[in-house]
Amino acid sequence: MKPAAFDYVAPRDLKSAIDALVGAGGDGKVMAGGQSLTPLLNFRMARPSLIVDLLRIPGLSFIELRENTVVIGALTRHADLEFSDVIAAHLPVMAAAMPHVAHLAIRNRGTIGGSLSHADPAAELPMLAVFYGATIKVEGPAGRREIPAEEFFVSALSNCLEPEEIVFEIEFPVLTSHTGWAFEEVARRFGDFALGCIAVSLELTDNTVSDARVAVMGVDDTPRRLREAEEILRGAEGGARTALRFAQIVRASVSPADDIHVSSDYRRNLIGALAERAFNTAFARAVGAKP
Amino acid sequence: MSKDEAVQVSDLLRPRHVGMPIKRTEDPRLLTGNGEYTSDRRPDRALHVAFRRSEHPHAKILRIDTEAAKAALGVVAVFTGADIADDYKPVIPFSRMPSYYATPIMALATGKVRYVGEAVVAIIADNRYLAEDALELIEIEYELLDAVNDPELAVAKDAPLVHELAQTNVLVAREFKKGDVKADLASAHIRVRDRFEMSRIAPLAIEPRSYSAEFENRRDSITLYTSSNIPGIVRDALSESLDLPGNRLRVVAPDVGGSFGSKGSLYPEEILLCVAARKLRRSLRWTADRLEDISSSSQAFAEIIEAEMGFDKDGIAIALEADVIGDVGAYSIYPWTCGLEPVQVVSFLPGPYKIQSYRGAVRAVATNKPPTGPYRGVGRPVSTFVAERLMDMGAKALGIDPLEIRRRNLVRPEEFPYRIASGIIWDKTGFVECLEAAAEAAGYESLLKQQRAARAEGRYFGIGLATYAELTGIGSRIAVAPGMPINTGSETAKIRVDSTGAVTAAFGVASHGQGLETTLAQIIADDLGAKFEDIRVIQGDSDAVPMSTGTYASRSAVLGGGAAKHASYILREKIKKVASHLLEASAEDIDVSGGFASVAGTDRKVTFKQIAKAVYSDMRTLPVEAREELEGSFTYDPINGTTAGATHLVAVEVDPVTCFVKILKYIVAEDCGRIINPMIVDGQVHGGVAQGIGAALYEEMVYNEEGQLVSASLVDYVIPSAVEIPDIEVLHIESESAVAGGFRGMGEGGTIGAPAAIANAISDALSPLGIDVSTLPMTPQRLFNLLENARTNVKGSQP
Repeated sequence: MKPAAFDYVAPRDLKSAIDALVGAGGDGKVMAGGQSLTPLLNFRMARPSLIVDLLRIPGLSFIELRENTVVIGALTRHADLEFSDVIAAHLPVMAAAMPHVAHLAIRNRGTIGGSLSHADPAAELPMLAVFYGATIKVEGPAGRREIPAEEFFVSALSNCLEPEEIVFEIEFPVLTSHTGWAFEEVARRFGDFALGCIAVSLELTDNTVSDARVAVMGVDDTPRRLREAEEILRGAEGGARTALRFAQIVRASVSPADDIHVSSDYRRNLIGALAERAFNTAFARAVGAKP
Repeated sequence: MSKDEAVQVSDLLRPRHVGMPIKRTEDPRLLTGNGEYTSDRRPDRALHVAFRRSEHPHAKILRIDTEAAKAALGVVAVFTGADIADDYKPVIPFSRMPSYYATPIMALATGKVRYVGEAVVAIIADNRYLAEDALELIEIEYELLDAVNDPELAVAKDAPLVHELAQTNVLVAREFKKGDVKADLASAHIRVRDRFEMSRIAPLAIEPRSYSAEFENRRDSITLYTSSNIPGIVRDALSESLDLPGNRLRVVAPDVGGSFGSKGSLYPEEILLCVAARKLRRSLRWTADRLEDISSSSQAFAEIIEAEMGFDKDGIAIALEADVIGDVGAYSIYPWTCGLEPVQVVSFLPGPYKIQSYRGAVRAVATNKPPTGPYRGVGRPVSTFVAERLMDMGAKALGIDPLEIRRRNLVRPEEFPYRIASGIIWDKTGFVECLEAAAEAAGYESLLKQQRAARAEGRYFGIGLATYAELTGIGSRIAVAPGMPINTGSETAKIRVDSTGAVTAAFGVASHGQGLETTLAQIIADDLGAKFEDIRVIQGDSDAVPMSTGTYASRSAVLGGGAAKHASYILREKIKKVASHLLEASAEDIDVSGGFASVAGTDRKVTFKQIAKAVYSDMRTLPVEAREELEGSFTYDPINGTTAGATHLVAVEVDPVTCFVKILKYIVAEDCGRIINPMIVDGQVHGGVAQGIGAALYEEMVYNEEGQLVSASLVDYVIPSAVEIPDIEVLHIESESAVAGGFRGMGEGGTIGAPAAIANAISDALSPLGIDVSTLPMTPQRLFNLLENARTNVKGSQP
């Protein structure tokens, strides 16, 4: 299980990295931590002629609060997100999700830009990007552009980037008015890819939901924001009836596939149960939160 | 609970190592990266081997074109089965079993491929990267044949044949019978039966299989470093196959990173590396990658068991009947044969119970999958699963508590030695003592109370018990595998004090995680009187002892330990004689302890170093006839072996949403006789239980209808990690066995009890829904299906 031969460059700036990709004529591949790409190379399922390793580029690993957004450099490691005070204070759902991202050794190596670009439908960071409505900033030969997370993920393991484009930064809006949230994930083993996962956050006005945010993963080709489910929560009060109705909508909104571990029925059933639990947790948290 | 009367007065005066929780002496090197595994070997200018493996489960090889591969960069040689046909003799896994067909073991597939992952062509190149590049240039033309996947269909008359010469896919059929089972079942007060199944699983050692065939031009000889736990058997088999005498073929098992059975058979790649090394007169290396290891190392279980048990009105099991089909894969393995696992299921099925009449029939059926082979517990994880489920089903039908029904059926202390209905004889072991100890430690009554409370809240809380017995430390009178012609009943220890006074003990047993360097040194420290820290243990090296087989079947503490005790005694007598000259005292008055020989009751003493000097280099102190080489050698054979037993008790809760099983409490009460090192025993039990939890809840090799392996990575083949393993409480009943030292084997037991106990606990948890567990592993999907069916049935019954 050894990769086919490839050339390797580790440029010191983004421009050189893009130039290298252009030079490879569509046959180059970006490496940004290598936690998903390396197995693909070793299985010879990916056979790029050139690997452009981004990790020597300075200035792309940071977590900064800028007004109402948290801006994260593409080369920021998962472990840095997991232990960041800024994330804990402003992106609580991300803080809750990070321990579920694979295993410790992988979190020490993997990067957010790498995970987003890999676009695994059962990976936490793509789902968080969709959940928060993040803006993914990329640079290519034609300059820079900004892509909303929901447009970024096209299908399983596929994004909307041109072959020479590189993610360099991600902006996560802070859901300031959302005082209640929940993150529920079930995996076969802690750290495995999710069998089902949902994130919910709520804004409450007079004990009634005035705004909601819902995203799921592991139940579709891409992580998904469930707008219909968000809609039915608006104006709803807490309690078992709302939770149940919410669960029904979530269950009906997803189209999971069978795989070697579980059936689509299992996944659908699970995501409903997780939705119910997540709504109740988020609502209780919002009620308990002192505005 | 040790028997104090077994301790002699002289034992109390000397430092005792046996029984102490001494930290493993091998761990500092292993934990700091200073171990030497086979893939750490760096023979001079070694070449690397890569295998082109079959992507088809069953196909005729029509043509192999290796020309382009031969011309590729860095390639030194390319071999097909035909290219090396004259360089070795196929290895035949013989057995005296009647109706057994021995499939020959070839280094590379010849004529046909019989499973996905079977090695067809070997490429030898400057490095593994270039070797794998060249693999892609090999062209193989196959004629696809119908694959034999389902062992129940494979027994049909018109089924395609895996081996045409066998004229059937049934490679072994056997039947064990005692009494009139039909009549006894008919007269039973109640009968319980089910169709049980344990999926095919992988032993999955973390170190993949790895071989380094090191060619020595000067002597035209080969040293094979192998990640094997049977280096002695490998040496003898290769010597025969390659026609190379043992003094030119050395086989060494260096540090080995786990086996669990997967490194306990001779492999085609071991033959190929030696054949090719000899042909090319070069050293060769190969380490399986994970895909190769999981798809070509021997696998386990894959058995379907139709079984029925009959009870009288008091809950005494009176009759047991079972028909077993073992899906043994494409080839019989050496030396154990394909009968090893399935035949042991029927030989051990009555377990520790006094069931009077029994019929157990088994068929080992060839399929287009990798061979099955030894797996920690061999046969007994499955037989225990079936027998313990039937015991619980009987208890439920009769309204008897599962703990009580076992009390009524276990062989009791006064009844040993006891011959069970399948013919196995149990020597005196604490069956009942283990059961009672586990129940007491668990607070059985309070667990039942907890269960009632949980059920009142609608939660699924279950308690599961499993009791079992195993035969360990098997001597020469019993074959480890049925009908196997090679002797696995003895092991040698050679202990010497060299001219510097250092103690070196050589064994043929081969630790692959058991900590034998520590435990064997503990025995020698006590019985020889050497300083523990001064003893070096050499193991797994065919040059170190004239004969050995290896470490398997829970034998090394019993056989290696017994040999160590006897060899120590011989050497100690020699040391006493020399010391009696030096100290001018009678040999009977000399005490040997801690690396000194002293005159009892005085402060006159000499060190091992002084003794060695007197024997080997000082020409004046000793008379010539007293300069006897300071070596003790002994080959120990426990003749029959000894029984080990245990009870596992587990409490679980089933989450009806995730369909996950949470283990709330896990207790093992085990009897491994006199304990050499309690820390190591606990570790072995913990590891065994963890593996059994894997078999019960997680692990499954999935072959699809086309015969392709779809669980070929550690993402899809799910093994439990530390997070999934609960605290395990281990209790020891030390009833001493009759073998030297009073030891019993215990390395496999944890894996035997866990699947059965967990299956019983899940069934108990879900008994309000009428769910019985008959298939393992009980994955979330299987539980989901059972729960869905139960829900549908409930709905259906309420119009």
